[in-house]
Amino acid sequence: MARYLFFRLLDMVPTVFLVLTMVFIAMRILPGDPALVALGPNADGGQLEAFREKMGLNEPLGLQYVTFLGNAVRFDFGHSLMSDVPIGTLIANNLPHTIYLTIASVVLGLVMGIPFGVYAATQRNKLPDSALRIYSLIGYAIPDFYLAAVLLIVFSLNLGWFPINGEGSGFWDGLHHIFLPALTLAMLKSAFLGRLTRTSLLEVLGRDYVRTARAKGARESRVIYRHALRNAMLPLSTGIGISILATLSGSVAIELVFNRPGIGRLLINAIQERDYPVIQAGVMMFAFFVILVNLAMDIVYLIADPRIRMKS
Amino acid sequence: MITRRALIGTAIATSAMGLYMPRLRAAAADTLRFASSAGGPRKTDPNQTTQGSDNWAVIQMFEYLVMPPDGTFGVKPEDFQPWLAESWTTSDDSKTWVFKLRQGVQFHKGYGEMTADDVARSFLRARDEGVSTSNYTNLTDVSASSKYEVTIKLKNPDPMFLSSTVATRNVMVVSKKAEAELGEKFATEPIGTGPYQIDRFDSERGMFLSRHEGYWGEPAIIPKVECLYIADTTARTLALMSGDVDMIEGVRQPGWVPQIQAQKPDLIFDMTAPGSFNTLFFNLSKEPLQNIQLRKAIMHGINKQEIVDALTPMSNMSYTLNPPNYPTGFKLEDLPEDLRYEYNPDEAKKLLADAGFAGGLTIPVNTSQREDYSTQHLIIQEQLSQIGIKIDLKILDHSAYHATNRQNLNTLNINSSSLPPVPLYVFNQYAPSSANMTEDGKGGANYSHYGVLMPGVDDLLDQMLQTTTFDDYVAKGREVELKIQRDLPMAGLPTLSYLVVRSPRIDIGFPIKSGYAYWRFCKAKIVA
Repeated sequence: MARYLFFRLLDMVPTVFLVLTMVFIAMRILPGDPALVALGPNADGGQLEAFREKMGLNEPLGLQYVTFLGNAVRFDFGHSLMSDVPIGTLIANNLPHTIYLTIASVVLGLVMGIPFGVYAATQRNKLPDSALRIYSLIGYAIPDFYLAAVLLIVFSLNLGWFPINGEGSGFWDGLHHIFLPALTLAMLKSAFLGRLTRTSLLEVLGRDYVRTARAKGARESRVIYRHALRNAMLPLSTGIGISILATLSGSVAIELVFNRPGIGRLLINAIQERDYPVIQAGVMMFAFFVILVNLAMDIVYLIADPRIRMKS
Repeated sequence: MITRRALIGTAIATSAMGLYMPRLRAAAADTLRFASSAGGPRKTDPNQTTQGSDNWAVIQMFEYLVMPPDGTFGVKPEDFQPWLAESWTTSDDSKTWVFKLRQGVQFHKGYGEMTADDVARSFLRARDEGVSTSNYTNLTDVSASSKYEVTIKLKNPDPMFLSSTVATRNVMVVSKKAEAELGEKFATEPIGTGPYQIDRFDSERGMFLSRHEGYWGEPAIIPKVECLYIADTTARTLALMSGDVDMIEGVRQPGWVPQIQAQKPDLIFDMTAPGSFNTLFFNLSKEPLQNIQLRKAIMHGINKQEIVDALTPMSNMSYTLNPPNYPTGFKLEDLPEDLRYEYNPDEAKKLLADAGFAGGLTIPVNTSQREDYSTQHLIIQEQLSQIGIKIDLKILDHSAYHATNRQNLNTLNINSSSLPPVPLYVFNQYAPSSANMTEDGKGGANYSHYGVLMPGVDDLLDQMLQTTTFDDYVAKGREVELKIQRDLPMAGLPTLSYLVVRSPRIDIGFPIKSGYAYWRFCKAKIVA
């Protein structure tokens, strides 16, 4: 297990290196000039040059790349080109909010999606099953920013139950503020997880060991949750992993619409402003997150399925 | 055991209770909350801000030596009133200006009384450091002639000195002592003399200000101001609708104002005129735009009134580079008939045929995805298609749009900028050969290459620079306007007001007519 983990962690190095290189190249290929964004379209040549000089944007690209990689290894991403705030501070201010949102929406998505899927599977071809199908269809089709706006209008603007934006202060206020954004992501997640749970469960419900459990007189809830659902968890854990990763892309729109701090919002603003160091740091955070979630899922597999453990 | 009926009943009861629950949001009685459209604050030192939205906090904390009445631009020298300076005199050659300072003006947070040293430092750092040094190269010497008197010497005469320099953001008065003590921190914790001082700079949320209790003038009525940042249009609009914020930057796109008005008729819309200038540049380095007949055809093919109508109520007509309410701007009836370029599709087609394009032509054009740019370009595309000119429009993100303009990759680009009523400043941005845009991105904003690819207005601008009275300055400036109108390397499009939507609970204390895209909150009061 330790050896496996070591090699999986070693795998991360070329992946992160590739991601960093691609971001660096993409940013330089994209048309857009941070100096112009910072100083405005009427800035004269001298002002623009002075800004580029100060920010090291006039250095040869190769030198910029080497400097960037060298600093990245030390987790030193420098300062924002626009605000001059150290990027470490920006990440520290924003990353926790994205993590909270991810955790809240995944928990809410699981709480909503798995029982719904279980219920639909046990009521196959009945009303709850059709309801799940329609719910899933809507969940797949509806854009997250649209759902967010609808929920905001209904629950915040009209009913006044939830704050309209921000992240709140303190635990309870924070919970109050995070509920609606987490619900938005969770509704989309639960559509996917509900459908996945239903399919996985239906597959195992026809197996011999389920029939045996029923023949032995086990209660239906025990058969479903103890015997069937546990065996359906393996494909479900893949779905949960995918769902966590989807939260990251979803968080970009959600953080903007709910005006919450977070890596997604930070990244979008940085892209619009061509704030290269912030973009590079933000993308690296996302890359780490993706790699770590994948690693965690692999470990879950190892624990959940002895056959994989044997092979590895 | 929970039955289905019980569950549904509970859900309905909870929802019904929610309808009668007191609203969670309650606008604070002692705070004015303003939300701008940027992603987050950058800096609040007036000499270092590069983002328009940050000026909303800057204008609350810093002051000029002189300023026009709130809610207006100072168009003529007599429009300015004493502020941190009690009085001023100028030499006959308009090269030496002496300002007598108000006594007893206190800086924020106990940094002491403002003196001539602080003022001199504020002007000199604008010339030597900061982000707009090239706007202050005319300053040769700024010195404290006594504790409360500052003498400023200029390289060239400037009868518009009050509006070109004294009432501009970079020279707003800062505490010299605080600047030296705070060092880099001064960028986010600056010390000025204004009616509000900074309590907290939060790079994610905004700037939080409180009343400066030692303010020399009438103290601010509302104790606290929050300058917040909500980039997403939906989030910002909902924040205003819900009462979470009191004022927001509006969206300058067709139909937005009527739509918001229909939903909440009691909202108040404050608009500046002119707001942003929109200037259409003909890139003379691109075939076949060197052809004056073609440029004239394009101008006759553009129906400016349609643009104004589409962007109503924010848009106002402009006929020359400077709009009519600026010192050198022309009203339509004051322009010679051949330089009016009124909408006339038949004339446009005739000119097009004369230019050798009777069968029409295609022009590739880049535009920005930002609403104000894309709206105008799309309207122009439709209008020019009526006379046989196909505009092949490519929509880029805003940053890419400006970058490609600076690399000489556009043909008919529009530039939108909030420019002061200082004609020489406006001309110097767009017209002289020294501002020529270059392909390496190191040039200025003369996107037409006017004065480089065709004779321009450099001589006239030199003459304008040497005028010593306001009347001479304006007369020369109007000659420049006419020359540009005749040569047609660029043309003024309708202006677009800066728009702020305000809750009726706030009375800002003065009407908004013109001025920069930010105004003071010290006279504001909560009326509901």
